[in-house]
Amino acid sequence: MSISKKQISNLLGLIASTENDATDCEGCFSHLAEFAELELAGREIPEAFQAIQRHLEQCPCCKDEFDVLIEGLKALPPEDE
Amino acid sequence: MTTENADTDDWVRRLSSSGPERDDAIAELTQLLVRGLSRSMANRYGNLVQPEDVVQDALLKILDSLETFAGRSRFTTWAMTIATRVAISEMRRKRYQDVSLDSITSDDNLSLDIATDPSTPGETQIDRANVLSTLQELIQTELSAKQREAIQALLGGLPVEEIARRTGSNRNAVYKLIHDARVRLKSGLERAGVIAEDFNAIFA
Repeated sequence: MSISKKQISNLLGLIASTENDATDCEGCFSHLAEFAELELAGREIPEAFQAIQRHLEQCPCCKDEFDVLIEGLKALPPEDE
Repeated sequence: MTTENADTDDWVRRLSSSGPERDDAIAELTQLLVRGLSRSMANRYGNLVQPEDVVQDALLKILDSLETFAGRSRFTTWAMTIATRVAISEMRRKRYQDVSLDSITSDDNLSLDIATDPSTPGETQIDRANVLSTLQELIQTELSAKQREAIQALLGGLPVEEIARRTGSNRNAVYKLIHDARVRLKSGLERAGVIAEDFNAIFA
């Protein structure tokens, strides 16, 4: 299997960003809606959500879904606060 | 009760009801989800997935999970989270449907050789070769066969979700398998004197 420089770079990027991850994809997903609302409101991430943030930093699959979710939510009509 | 809570309770009540009220709520939610997905999916993935097609599956999941909605977010945010996952899952399934795991992982001896770029300074080329040689050795000696296969699949471009689909596993298990492999590789590289901060400089 031949590897491109970009693939190596991606793998090393993943290795470099590896930290302890206290949650998993399903754990992240179960709090993603709340996390997305915090992000959209520009609020500071509370301690209880730090694990979600760490997981998103390390899991490209979940990060993709989160980014798409944020874009989708921005397209929805604003609701009354 | 805040307006936000009232709105959320209203969604749950209407979707849990029967008759025209429920039908109206489903039609309204469908419209919202299609609107959100039309923008988010098209922006990133073009026309690979049609929002109208995946929203029906998403609605079934949302209605099936209605009792689990805990009200920690707006209802529409929660529903959009489910719809987004359904849409991306379908997009990944379509995008990688012709990629077989065997074609990526059949080579048991993963070679991390990359082409030499004449414009790269000699010292950097030596650093690269050293890092790659160490990494390759770590992959062979520190990882289990399953971890090697998962890392190869990842290098081949398959997302974790697709690796899980092809191996009959689940996303959490594959994520953990790869995460543990990453921890071992990072630790091995550090023992060999290669620190994470050097990666970007060497492979820029």
